[in-house]
Amino acid sequence: MNEIAQIERHLLNRQMPGDALLFEAKTLLDADLRVNVSSQQQVYSLVQQYGRKQLKQEIEAVHQQLFTQPEHLSFRQKIARIFLNR
Amino acid sequence: MEERAARQQLFTTLYQKVFPAVAKYVNKCGRSFDEAKDVFQDALVSYYEKSHTADVTINSSEGAYIYGTARYLWIKRYKQGSQTTQLDDSSAASIIAETDAAPSEDKLLHFLETAGKRCMELLRSFYYDNLPMTRVAQLFGFSGVRSATVQKYKCIEKVRETVKQKALTYEDFLE
Repeated sequence: MNEIAQIERHLLNRQMPGDALLFEAKTLLDADLRVNVSSQQQVYSLVQQYGRKQLKQEIEAVHQQLFTQPEHLSFRQKIARIFLNR
Repeated sequence: MEERAARQQLFTTLYQKVFPAVAKYVNKCGRSFDEAKDVFQDALVSYYEKSHTADVTINSSEGAYIYGTARYLWIKRYKQGSQTTQLDDSSAASIIAETDAAPSEDKLLHFLETAGKRCMELLRSFYYDNLPMTRVAQLFGFSGVRSATVQKYKCIEKVRETVKQKALTYEDFLE
């Protein structure tokens, strides 16, 4: 777990300059560490993609509500008028 | 989850406040509801991501930011005639940071969505929604920040192992 925390500080630029240098040196010598660093980098990228995908689904759900539910009728009519008006 | 309800409320309000203006703009250019919807939703994502990043401040009102982004995306995507220009357009990518997945990452993401949902939700709360650890602990029922942090690292480790395993599988597949 220590290693994961350390890689995280490195990838998210939260290391002290001296520690960063030391870490760079360690990755040069340690192939397993290099694999861990690149896989962990991919984890953050996957979490970002996951978050964005979930958020888009939440936004689409709001859209569906606004364009189907009775209490939003006046909003719908307002939008419909815009697209009728060419 | 309260955060989810709060987001739903936020997006509903922003839809009511800003979508009509985006719709008017797109319609004035003679284009469709679907195009307006498309760019508006991406502008909402951009607004959410920007406003949840600690080191970025949006120097305009939320409405102005979303309207401006939607208009920019629409011009990039549709006005230059090419219907196929999507988010991967290099200029649009400067507004919405590009994280679209490579095909192999898509599969991996799909796998994690089903097999590792709870970990992905926890990691999302912390890294994407940028919630403070105290709140993450509350939401996921941990006794405190310490155990939530331990779990966060365990989740990173778990996903990281999956990444490594899948990388091996793909290498085998390519050979």
